[in-house]
Amino acid sequence: MGGLSASLNIALQSLLAQQDGISIASNNIANVNTPGYSRQVANLVETPPVQFGHSLFGTGVELQSVTSLRDSVLDLRVNQETQQQGQLNAFIGGGQQIQALFNQTSGTGLQGPLTAFFNSLSQLASNPSDINTRQGVLTAAQNLASAFNQTSANLATQQRNTDLSLTQTVSQVNSLTTQIATVNGQVSAATGAGQNAGPLIDQRQQLLNQLSNLVDISEINAGHGSLTVTTTSGTPLVVAKQSFALSTQASANGLQDVYSQGADITSSITSGQLAGEIQIRDQEIPSIQNSLDTLAFSLANAVNTQSAAGTDLNGNAGGNFFVPPAAQAGAASSLAVAITDPAKIAAGQDGSPGDNANANALLALQNQNIVGGQTPLTYYSNTIYKIGNDLASAQANEQSGSTVLQQLQNLQGGVSGVDINEEAANLIRYQTAYEASARVSAVIDSLLQTTINTFTP
Amino acid sequence: MPIRLDPNLLPSLLTSIQQTLQNETTASQELATGRSVSQLSDNPAAAAALVSNFNQSSADDQYIQNAATLQARFQTADASLSNVVTVLTRAITLGTEGANGTLNAGDRQAIAGEVKGLISQSLGLANTTYQGAYLFAGTAVNTQPFVQDPVTGVVTYTGNATTTSVQIENGTQLGENVPGSQLFQNASGGVFTSLQDLYTSLQSGNGIGAAVTEVQSALTQLSTNRVFYGNALNQISLSDNFLSQDKLDLSSQENTLVGANPAAAASEFSQAQTANQELLAATAKVLNLPTLFTYLPV
Repeated sequence: MGGLSASLNIALQSLLAQQDGISIASNNIANVNTPGYSRQVANLVETPPVQFGHSLFGTGVELQSVTSLRDSVLDLRVNQETQQQGQLNAFIGGGQQIQALFNQTSGTGLQGPLTAFFNSLSQLASNPSDINTRQGVLTAAQNLASAFNQTSANLATQQRNTDLSLTQTVSQVNSLTTQIATVNGQVSAATGAGQNAGPLIDQRQQLLNQLSNLVDISEINAGHGSLTVTTTSGTPLVVAKQSFALSTQASANGLQDVYSQGADITSSITSGQLAGEIQIRDQEIPSIQNSLDTLAFSLANAVNTQSAAGTDLNGNAGGNFFVPPAAQAGAASSLAVAITDPAKIAAGQDGSPGDNANANALLALQNQNIVGGQTPLTYYSNTIYKIGNDLASAQANEQSGSTVLQQLQNLQGGVSGVDINEEAANLIRYQTAYEASARVSAVIDSLLQTTINTFTP
Repeated sequence: MPIRLDPNLLPSLLTSIQQTLQNETTASQELATGRSVSQLSDNPAAAAALVSNFNQSSADDQYIQNAATLQARFQTADASLSNVVTVLTRAITLGTEGANGTLNAGDRQAIAGEVKGLISQSLGLANTTYQGAYLFAGTAVNTQPFVQDPVTGVVTYTGNATTTSVQIENGTQLGENVPGSQLFQNASGGVFTSLQDLYTSLQSGNGIGAAVTEVQSALTQLSTNRVFYGNALNQISLSDNFLSQDKLDLSSQENTLVGANPAAAASEFSQAQTANQELLAATAKVLNLPTLFTYLPV
């Protein structure tokens, strides 16, 4: 049997425990809008009973622990989905800039200048001896060349910009991994000391989520609450309280490669913003650049060959119309018209000024499969299709991914989110218990008073 | 125990609001521009198809413009040849007059004088230029094709016999010229030789009848070959009709590819607007929902 003083003790312990409960509820309410916060619950337990005679008497309540409610599997899924979204968003950002260079409805792209060039040849065929018509061909050809030059230069600029932003992303990754390593050390220390590491884990999860947006990561539980973070291909980023910084080094083509401890890991980065940027820089832009080069190279060579087969206004054999491209790579950026004198355009084949046989042959190139087995325009429209389609599928994936991410975040919120009503109810429960415990101690106090007064002379 | 729901409804609501706003923007953009495809990624296949559509439409414009140049040139050529026909007909009349036995030498000399005038007139017509280019010189358009020897009066052809053709619509080539040699010369002499013979015979009074026959044969040849220009003009006007129709077809194809359906866009717009407003109202209500605290005594 406990006796009055034991009961008083129970009441006091209860006051403390209810107070802890109130404090936790109020902390939950305070953090209702804090990103990454996981709601906490007070784990109240009975204190060990004591035995008097044949009976066990309870000894009250105590706060055993505080638990942060989170679902680590959901956290992982959210991080994975965030990596996908990071990559897609970076790709979409780059893709939108690229497609703006090829938007014929707003007057950019190569269809206009290509068509205008062949139209000028069509005009030349109908009036081969007219010097103004010939000048028109030169102007159209120069416009075509500068359209190629500009589009190619714009792509190159975008490639350099993406390269720059990739370097910035790498330094963001490093800043995050440094922070994660610090928090990781704290989590491990707190866990080791048997403390509630929940708030630290919240912080670490928040940082890991930000890191996921940038690069693909894999989290391995290293025991004692510590995490080992690597890229999915195994490059270490955080081990215990140490972080491993990524670095960038210029490669042969002048673009920055991503290195970790001396090894080039550029090609092994598979998602996150970094991967999206690498994809735009190393695949998308070079592939379009290559299409433009192929188009410019093949067109220039075909026109030159046909030009050489003809005769100019003065009856001389035709020369190169375009400056012959040195190689296919870079042909678009260097395309230039070789002729400056309109009389030198080889419109005829018999040496007389009124002959349009070669102008007809030049015009016919537009319907011949001179570029990679396709006509110049078909080749160009296939390039357009690829640009649009790459972006459209990235957008579709991003859209479905964002729905998935939203659902995962909702599920995460279901586990970890603070519900004001729930906290209000808890607050009332603890308040009521607190008030009751206070009453209990008052009652015991009064009983003690009675007892003392009774035996006092 | 039921699954605990995310107590924070705001992110989902905001996403939905953004979505309706985006739908609203898309629909209003479609209405404003009349296009459902304003970026390649909106419809890559349509954007790619548009490349050849724009190209063809622009090529048609060029054909129409070329046709105008050709038409003017053909009309000039045809008018010149028509004048040559008049000249030759007059020569035949004069020759027939001259062959009349009642005329004396003086009368024949007078007629011969007129025939001489006709020679130089037809020489001028045979050397007709259009925008500085000789029309009946084959492809040697910068050199005068018919030159008369000042002493002998013999006219020689310095042009060539090359014919050219030009594309007047996709895949259709149209012959562009008849060389002067084919129009004005033949085995028995042609325009200038026959007129020259007529002139000589009128002067001498011998062989006028034969000379008239020569002129008649030259006229027949010219008329036969002149038909080319009439046909070409005809074909150009046919092709013009075709091109105009083709442009209409292309424009309707463009509309099918990338054009917005105004009725659908308008209805999408109003749907998006309604959805947006309803969502905003709902969000406002959710944000103002009472909590347990509302009912607790202070």
